[in-house]
Amino acid sequence: MKPRVCVLRADGTNCDLETFYAFEKAGAECRMVHVNQLRSGEERLAGYQILALPGGFSYGDDVHSGKILAVELTSFLRESLQEFVDGGKPVIGICNGFQVLVRTGLLPGRRLGDIRCALMNNDSGRFECRWVTMKVEDSPCIFTRGLSGRLLSIQVAHGEGKFYAEREQLDSLEAAGQVVFRYAGPDGLPTMEYPYNPNGSLNAIAGICDRTGLVMGLMPHPERFVDIHQHPNWRRGGFDLPHGLPVFINAVKYCMEM
Amino acid sequence: MAIQEVRVENLPGLPDTVGEALLYEIHNTLGIKEITGIRTAKVYRFEGIDRDQAVVLAERLLAEKLFQRFSINRPLLEGGTVVEVAYKPGVMNPEAASLVKSAADLGITGLLAADSSREYAFYGPGAVPGNIDLVLKKLLVNETVERVIREKPQSLILEGRPGRTEIIPIRGMSDDDLMDLSRDKLFLNLEEMRAIKNYFLGLGRDPTDCEVETLAQTWSEHCGHKTFKAVLEVGGKIKPPLLKRLQDATRGTGHPLVLSAFVDNSGVMAFFDGWAICGKVETHNSPSAIEPYGGAMTGSGGVFRDIMGTGRGARVIASTDMFCFAPPWMDQSEVPPGCLHPKYLLRKVVAGVRDYGNRMGIPTNNGSVHFHRDFRAKPTIIVGAYGILPESTCRKGKPDPGDLAVVMGGRTGRDGIHGATFSSGEMTHRTVDVNASAVQIGNAIEEKRMSDALLEASREGLVKAVTDCGAGGFGSALGEMGSETGVLVWLERAPLKYQGLSPWEIWLSESQERMVLAVRPDHWPRLAEICRMYNVEAVVLGTFTGDRMLKVTYEGETVCSLEMEFLHHGLPERRLKAAWIPPEKQEAVPGPPGDWLEAYCRVMSHPDVCSKEPIVRMYDHGVQGTNTLPPFGGAAGDAPNDAVVLTPLYGKHFGVVISHGLNPVLNSINPYYGSLWAAAEAVSNAVAAGADPSDICLIDNFIWPFPDSESLGALDMAVDACVDFVKATGMPFISGKDSLSSTYRDAGGTVIKIPPVLCVSAFGRIRDVRKTVSADFKRAGSGIVLVGKRTPSEMAGSVYCRLAGAEGTNLPRVDIGTLIAVFRRVHKAIESGRVLACHDISEGGLAAALAEMCFGGEVGAVVDLEDGDVAEEFLFNETAGTFLVEIKGEDMPPGLFEGVPHRLIGKTTAEKAITVRRGGEALFMADTGLLREAWKRPMKEVFGP
Repeated sequence: MKPRVCVLRADGTNCDLETFYAFEKAGAECRMVHVNQLRSGEERLAGYQILALPGGFSYGDDVHSGKILAVELTSFLRESLQEFVDGGKPVIGICNGFQVLVRTGLLPGRRLGDIRCALMNNDSGRFECRWVTMKVEDSPCIFTRGLSGRLLSIQVAHGEGKFYAEREQLDSLEAAGQVVFRYAGPDGLPTMEYPYNPNGSLNAIAGICDRTGLVMGLMPHPERFVDIHQHPNWRRGGFDLPHGLPVFINAVKYCMEM
Repeated sequence: MAIQEVRVENLPGLPDTVGEALLYEIHNTLGIKEITGIRTAKVYRFEGIDRDQAVVLAERLLAEKLFQRFSINRPLLEGGTVVEVAYKPGVMNPEAASLVKSAADLGITGLLAADSSREYAFYGPGAVPGNIDLVLKKLLVNETVERVIREKPQSLILEGRPGRTEIIPIRGMSDDDLMDLSRDKLFLNLEEMRAIKNYFLGLGRDPTDCEVETLAQTWSEHCGHKTFKAVLEVGGKIKPPLLKRLQDATRGTGHPLVLSAFVDNSGVMAFFDGWAICGKVETHNSPSAIEPYGGAMTGSGGVFRDIMGTGRGARVIASTDMFCFAPPWMDQSEVPPGCLHPKYLLRKVVAGVRDYGNRMGIPTNNGSVHFHRDFRAKPTIIVGAYGILPESTCRKGKPDPGDLAVVMGGRTGRDGIHGATFSSGEMTHRTVDVNASAVQIGNAIEEKRMSDALLEASREGLVKAVTDCGAGGFGSALGEMGSETGVLVWLERAPLKYQGLSPWEIWLSESQERMVLAVRPDHWPRLAEICRMYNVEAVVLGTFTGDRMLKVTYEGETVCSLEMEFLHHGLPERRLKAAWIPPEKQEAVPGPPGDWLEAYCRVMSHPDVCSKEPIVRMYDHGVQGTNTLPPFGGAAGDAPNDAVVLTPLYGKHFGVVISHGLNPVLNSINPYYGSLWAAAEAVSNAVAAGADPSDICLIDNFIWPFPDSESLGALDMAVDACVDFVKATGMPFISGKDSLSSTYRDAGGTVIKIPPVLCVSAFGRIRDVRKTVSADFKRAGSGIVLVGKRTPSEMAGSVYCRLAGAEGTNLPRVDIGTLIAVFRRVHKAIESGRVLACHDISEGGLAAALAEMCFGGEVGAVVDLEDGDVAEEFLFNETAGTFLVEIKGEDMPPGLFEGVPHRLIGKTTAEKAITVRRGGEALFMADTGLLREAWKRPMKEVFGP
């Protein structure tokens, strides 16, 4: 049985099609679900094995990026979300979806309403779209199994992506191995140097997971590199596999093995 | 109940990027270094709730306590001089709706209205009234849409009572009276005003304001394309209308891929697997000239809706933007009264395109920026969009009597009143004051959810016809959709942003993000359900009749009753005289430069040649995950490609190629050859990526000065060039637009004609994107071949000549006979897999193209001149339709470019330098690092590091 993926949409979600495709290519069965369908009961989260929060500008990113959707989820879908997470089902938030996860509190502590991290305006003050290198760290994250130490070429496209947390919280994330991805420079090492670190993220953090490794969020867009020909330099060679695809395959595998 | 105010700022010690960005501007644009710091706070106001509720909102929605703090009903920013900037009342603040929604989600009851704005605190010895006024005026406040808040507002709710419908006593008007009525408002000429008068004389009654306005909108140049439909008299000879010539040429090609040309909101061509692709390119010059951010946004929003409203609904897959500005370094004193500085315009226009496209999730991935001081009175802002839709629904159905006219999307406000007539008028120093209401702020999220709902409705077969509410609002959309049946409209049903609109204002408002659909009555309940699911408002605004009347009522009162026949066919046909006068330009041939390296760097850093990467990086050009040839690539990701290639069907290798060409300088020298150049350049860009020239369709955009006989003469030549191009290449134009208002007139009678621009956009299909190439050199030791026909001495209009202060008259005359053969050859060569890289030659000539290819490959090149080559002509000639090609190995493969002009000019090298040799001796050697630096510098200066 293919695992069922709920690709969650709201007003202003806009990376839903490519996220849908990435999961389908990885072997999942996807469905687009509007948040209103969950609110009305027409759709139930419990019917899915994976929850994906795609990128975009949910509700225009008004007030803060991802905030309005985060408020909506924590107000109306509190129980079903908590149930989903407690049931050991994977959740991925990409870009705006990451912002939403952080603003609900599902990341890093998987506790709704307990907000410990933030994604702030890029240090450059600008929205920025470019390909960056991210290094996969050792972590319990189920989305990056077998990828530890790899350098992935992935595109970022955001204006509010600077990962921020207070020192103590950062240390705790580091100690628990919850940092999944870091921006890396040409030497392959984590970097604070612009534009390799495109937003000034503390500790060069591009993505994190919760302690179980089941809930993951990242700013870069792995769903934009699931075919070789999506990379700007596929013609220059050097790519055996599209770098974003394993993230989705891992989630599907995890569900199949469950 | 009093208004509750919540202020939020980042914690002291944490960066405030908004403040920092403004400070950078103040230091670099205004040169005021004595303002040393800026902090900002968001201000939220809520009406109808109490303080405790405001605290809940602050804690749970507005302030992220991790990095922010807030205050309730008291100032927050400490010290400094504090100024608050907000949208003017009536200008829609997109954030307000989100505040109301989220408050409801949090269980806050009683909220009547919400708004947001921003406070700025200025610090340092320079934070004095004079400086702050300057900052407000030049950087912060566009008075068209924004204002400084001096005291707390009493209410956030806009009150107003609808004005009454007025009767215009047109039957008794003299010619002078008619023209007084027309001026500043209707923009019709005397003959047209008389036609309206005579029509109502015939009816034996006077018209309502609504009727007169409806006619003015429908007959505006913007909607009616009067000049393009006029019979022309050129040099004593009668010629068919411009539009007819273009349409006839397209028909003459009998192109098998064309599915609809010039009839729908965009042009449609066949794609693969039962899909079709469509393209539309629009101009948005006038609104962008007075409020560049909002103007550019509505430009993007409008052209996206054109795609959405094609056939029975299409999905937007790409956005393009082509701009012409005066140089951003221009002295303020050179900017005409009533006009905004080009640097401000450029930055704000880019921000508008960015914010709309990014939020909608449309990749903006093809474009260009051109600079010429004659754009100082008005920029040229061209925005394009492309879409995909099933071939089976790529044509509109016709509404039947009894079908419903449904409006969906945003609410109607006073914004955009007179947009259509305004953009058809000349721009004057009064424009900013008189037509302020023509500008709107777009709401991309409104449009995105409308698009989501529309696509679903379309998939379910609920849409018989759909069109966007663009210029002319409901009036134009319904007048058009019901032209063959007639339509009855109940205006009071239109959802309004605020009260107080007169019926004619509702009817003609150009509020954004609205679309009109023809729907079978039994389909309406399901459509309504879909719209509810997507949070989209939809109402039945009217019904299609069978009486061929445009009948509009407001609370039972008839405010408009016009025959469709008169509305659409009552416009007197124009007969216009056209006579082009060649500009007086000296033929000047600058010789070789004293210093080759310096000259090369100057060409690379010319604004028309330099890298536009900082702009492209701000656009999400990768969203949708379809880019297989992005705007920039190469080893360091900074080398430009000629076209964009997208794969809109996931998992398939079918490609959509998109490119364009324009050259205002050449157009001014000679409209015929300038236009040929634009068309040749557009197609060359697509072919350089690997497109098959027989799978390409074209879109025209004529942005011309007000059509007096001289401008019209130039236009006539430009259209002839397009027609000749179509005939020679077999590529059809399938969509187009003219904007004939690029003239500025000030109080003293000074007239500035903005340079005429023909922008040709090309789009097409590619069967297998794996057979496309990028422009970056792939390795050292490859041969470099120049392909295509050119006469190197045709240097007029080139960047090299312009830098020497000589535009000249001997411009490149593209040989369209040879061109198509070159296109075919280049395509075949790429398809055969023997080409590693290909770059089209345009502004900056062979030298600029070569340098960009070297940047992309992190390699250098050696080029050998032959006897008879004039070095500066060889390097800097800008003939379109010529290519640089990297081949495998150093030697010319036999037959690769047989039958077309080509020459092996050199090879790529590991050493990162470009060496030009004559007889084996180096004429000069240019380090690519230096060239790259020169090429990147200008836009970094404009957009920051």
